[in-house]
Amino acid sequence: MQQSKQLSLGDRYAEITVVTVTIIALVIGWFYKSSIENASLPFSAEGISAEAPKGWIQFQTSGDELFRAVDINSKGFGTTYTISKIIIADDVPALEVSSLVALNHAQNLLAFRVLSQQEVQVYGRTAYELDYVYVESNPDLTHSEMPKIVRGTDYIFVSNGEAVIVSYQADEKNYDVDLSRFLLFLRSIKF
Amino acid sequence: MTENEARLHERKHFWRDELLLILSMVIFVVVVYALDNALQPIFTPSTLLMAGVFLALVPAGIWLVFFNLQDRAEPEPKGHVLAIFGLGALLGAAIGIPVVENLFRVSHWIYSSTIATILGGILVVGFTQEFLKYAAVRYSIYYTDEFDEPTDGVIYATAAGLGYATVLNIQFVVANGGVDLGAGVIRMAVVALAQATFSGITGYFLGRAKFESEPIWWMPLGITLAAVFNGLFNWLQGIVIRPTVTLSGASNNAWMGLVLAAVVALLTTGVLLWLVRRNIKHLQATE
Repeated sequence: MQQSKQLSLGDRYAEITVVTVTIIALVIGWFYKSSIENASLPFSAEGISAEAPKGWIQFQTSGDELFRAVDINSKGFGTTYTISKIIIADDVPALEVSSLVALNHAQNLLAFRVLSQQEVQVYGRTAYELDYVYVESNPDLTHSEMPKIVRGTDYIFVSNGEAVIVSYQADEKNYDVDLSRFLLFLRSIKF
Repeated sequence: MTENEARLHERKHFWRDELLLILSMVIFVVVVYALDNALQPIFTPSTLLMAGVFLALVPAGIWLVFFNLQDRAEPEPKGHVLAIFGLGALLGAAIGIPVVENLFRVSHWIYSSTIATILGGILVVGFTQEFLKYAAVRYSIYYTDEFDEPTDGVIYATAAGLGYATVLNIQFVVANGGVDLGAGVIRMAVVALAQATFSGITGYFLGRAKFESEPIWWMPLGITLAAVFNGLFNWLQGIVIRPTVTLSGASNNAWMGLVLAAVVALLTTGVLLWLVRRNIKHLQATE
C-alpha cells in the first residue's frame, strides 16, 4: 500500500486522544469489574463471621458445614467456598486434622490426590494448608458433559478444641484467576 | 478523481449493497432455519463443527459477493478489502477475545445487573471491539492512496467489523463444539450485522477525519458513539431474546434478536447515508 499523506500534528493528537479515551474507558471498566467481583454480603454463624461474595448462590448447610457459596457464573465447575467447624480433642495437632480431612475427601471425591500439605501463616494465624485435586463427576446420567478436574485448597485452623476448615474449590482452569477473590474472602473470616 | 471530487463522491452502489446485505442476511437465516427444520440433518461432532464454521463465514461471504458486484462500477482494490477483513479478524482473535474473555472475564460479571450489562457492554466490550476495528483501518489503509474518499472509511471499517464478527462466531462454534443450526445461524447473523453496523459508524468518522479538517474530539467521539451503540445493543438484545416461560413451557425469542439487529442496521445505515449526503451538500454549497 502506498503512503499518500504524512501525519499532521492534528492527526497525531487525534490519534493519541483516541488511544487515551480507550484506555480511560478500559481502566474505568476494570475498576467497575473489580467492584462487582469484590462486592460482599456479611455472613455469621456459630461465632464465625465472613464477607461472602455477593451474587453467588448460598446453599442451606447441615452437619459440620456452616457455609457454602457457589459462583454459578464460573465456567466448568462452579467455584465454591465452604466453611466447616469440627470439634476435636484439645491435644490434636493440625497435621492430624489435615490427615482426617484428606481421608474424608478421599472417601467422597473421585480420583482425589493430595498435591501438597504444609503449615502456613494466613493473615497472622497459623494454619495447615491442604492442596488437592479431584475429578468432579455429575451423577446425572442425562448430563452429557466431560467430567471436570477440580483443584482445591483447605485451610485448617486449630484452636481450643475445634478446627475451622475454610475450603476453596475451582475448576482447574479457573483456580489461579479465582484465587485472589478467595484470598479476600479468607482475610474477611473472623472467629 | 481529484481529492476534491473524491470528497463529493457518494458511492451510491455501496449504500445499496449495505441494504442488500441486511436483507440477504435475513433471507440466509430464514433459508437455513427452514432447511434445518425440514431436513433435520444428523451430524457427527466433527461435521457439526465444520457446518458451524462454514455458517460463521457466510455473512462475510455474502458481503464480499455484493462488494465484488458493485466493485465493477466503482473499483476498490479487493485485495485491500480482504486484507482489512483479515486484519479485523486477526485483531479480534489475538487481542479482542483474550482481553474481553480472559482479562476482563466479562461473562463472569456482566449479567449481574442491568447497569453492569450496560456499563460493561460499553466500557469493556464496546471500547475494545470498536478500538480494534478502528485500528485495523487507521494503522493500515488509512494513509494510503487507496483510501481516497470519505465513504472508504465505511467500506474498510465494515470489512474489519465483518472480520471481527467472523472470529467471534467461529470462537462461539468451537467453544460449544458446534451449534444447533437453527439457533446458531440466527446468532451468527446478529453478530455479523451488529459488528458491521457499529464499525460503519467508526468508518464514517474515519472518512471525515481524513478528508476534512475535524476537531481533535472528532475521532474519539466516533469510537465512543460506536462503543455506546455496541453496549446498548447487547443490553437490548438480552432483553428481547429473553425466553418466555409459561406453564406450557419455554419459548425462544432468538428471532427477535435478528429483527432488532436488522432494524438497528437499517437505521444506522440510513443515518450514515443521510450524514454523507448532508455533508456532500454542505461541501458543494461552500465551494
